[in-house]
Amino acid sequence: MERQSRLFSVFVHASALLLAAVILAPVVWLFVMSISPAADLSAKPLNWWPSDIDLSRYRTLLSAVENSAGAAFVASLVNSLQVAGMATLAAIVVAVPAAWAVSRTPAVSWSLYAVIATYMLPPVALAVPLYMGLAYFGLLNSVFGLALVYLTILAPFTTWLLKSGFDAIPREIESAAMIDGARLDQILRLLTLPLAAPVMATSALFAFLLAWDEFFYALLFTSDLRAKTLTVAIADLAGGRVSDYGLIATAGVLAALPPVLIGLVMQRALISGLTSGGVKG
Amino acid sequence: MSALEIRNIQKRYGDVETLKGIDIALESGEFLVLLGSSGCGKSTLLNIIAGLAEPSGGDILIGERSIVGAHPKDRDIAMVFQSYALYPNMSVARNIGFGLEMRKVPPAEREKAVRETARLLQIENLLDRRPSQLSGGQRQRVAIGRALVRNPRVFLFDEPLSNLDAKLRMEMRTELKRLHQMLKTTVVYVTHDQIEAMTLATRIAVMRDGRIEQLGTPAEIYDRPATLYVAGFVGSPPMNILDAEIGGDQLRIAGSDELLPLPQDFKRTAVPGGRVKIGIRPEALRLANAGASGVRLIADVEVMELTGPELVTTAKVGEQRVTACLPPRTPLIAGSTQVFSFEEAALHLFDPESGRSLRAP
Repeated sequence: MERQSRLFSVFVHASALLLAAVILAPVVWLFVMSISPAADLSAKPLNWWPSDIDLSRYRTLLSAVENSAGAAFVASLVNSLQVAGMATLAAIVVAVPAAWAVSRTPAVSWSLYAVIATYMLPPVALAVPLYMGLAYFGLLNSVFGLALVYLTILAPFTTWLLKSGFDAIPREIESAAMIDGARLDQILRLLTLPLAAPVMATSALFAFLLAWDEFFYALLFTSDLRAKTLTVAIADLAGGRVSDYGLIATAGVLAALPPVLIGLVMQRALISGLTSGGVKG
Repeated sequence: MSALEIRNIQKRYGDVETLKGIDIALESGEFLVLLGSSGCGKSTLLNIIAGLAEPSGGDILIGERSIVGAHPKDRDIAMVFQSYALYPNMSVARNIGFGLEMRKVPPAEREKAVRETARLLQIENLLDRRPSQLSGGQRQRVAIGRALVRNPRVFLFDEPLSNLDAKLRMEMRTELKRLHQMLKTTVVYVTHDQIEAMTLATRIAVMRDGRIEQLGTPAEIYDRPATLYVAGFVGSPPMNILDAEIGGDQLRIAGSDELLPLPQDFKRTAVPGGRVKIGIRPEALRLANAGASGVRLIADVEVMELTGPELVTTAKVGEQRVTACLPPRTPLIAGSTQVFSFEEAALHLFDPESGRSLRAP
């Protein structure tokens, strides 16, 4: 342990607290808004702390009464889970062989760069062709159609992440297994994939978040409860003549919960995945 | 019958020729060391034998059967990698038994073989650990165990000791020698360390620029280097190489009046009046006391470095430098002129153009 002056350690802790405050402030404010009575939110000057706790909006959004705002919100929550889940799963399934191939055969890595180049196109440039395509296949306003569109966004991204993960696994391990008599599928199943598990978890989480947060395509390609996702549902809440900011905040809090839960569950894998490039076992 | 035969193996990457025709035949039980600096093609050759790379031309036979194009697992070889390449997610026992597992050896038989190998390498107490819980030397033993357990026809080692610290490297070197003496296996071993090559090998192939400079026993390589490169590569400190001229039956060291006799072995090939390079190993030189036999060489002592077991002395003959390894308590004064002596047989002559030894065959 190096020697540190008292001043320096105070400075370090103060900086850490400041950083935490900057990152957490919007989240905390979102939560405070969601439990403040409506009067507090429109008061002048603003009430930073709710006069009393109002959980009615959570009841509204999570109510199961038919045709209510709650039913619409819950349906969009389910849609989001379905779309993001399917797209993430498909992206990982597609990305594992692609990333492994590119990592082990650098001669074909140009193909990955070509895909990444298309990734640079703004979504709006692809909106019309995608819309026509989905319409042709009857996949407009369908969770499958939207998941398919998301797959095109997620697959290059997860392939890229997984490639760097596979790059960190020494090829000599696979060579050794080959000499030991393992078939390609055995090498992947017994060695490469278990060793890449942390990176796979990291890419899955980031892919899920990307799909979960996507708004533009979801707005264009969905129109009702059958396929509308959370981001669109939240926008709908703000779209009326009178916006209930508290309700929007509540929807935001609820929308943030699933990714946070997944993140907490995968915390350990996530941390080792994010640092796997730098540290070798 | 040779255990391994390498016939005119070539390897090209585009226009770059990494291997320019390698021929080696190896008897069963031989320990061949491929020695050379990095980029000489020694690892490429090993990978070609292993089947991790394919040659551009030539043939390789293991036990009279051509293996070019065969899958690595069908070549009856085992390889120990520089990085050990252990399977990090498996226990030591499974690491060692993995080859048997893949070859569908029944679990009971497999476990017995793993135990026996572990006992041989003294790692029985580590069988349940993961590679990350092992020290460098222990990992090395596991990697060797993984190769041993399958009892292949040829063992391949790719610089296996270069990741270990100096003390451990010496221990493992002795261990490898012990194992080879006990098991009488056929080994191809790649290294850039000439001490490893000299101590382990039954034969050394010194490689340079994709060719074999010299193939011979360690004694041949050390006592009768075929080229200047081999002479300079093997030996520490390296052989003294001096410019000289041939005049009659004598050699005159360039830039001085020192005359040396022309040894018998070189009389036929050396052209009178021609320039040559002469080589003398530092350990062949000693201080001449009165009435000492051998060839005399007068030089001005410049620097003495005591390493412990020997006094490494640098002296000047004319404008050229000579290093001598003398006994540690030799009384010497920097700046003094000393008479050194050596046996005539310790003198090597090389063609300065081709670098080839001028020793008559």
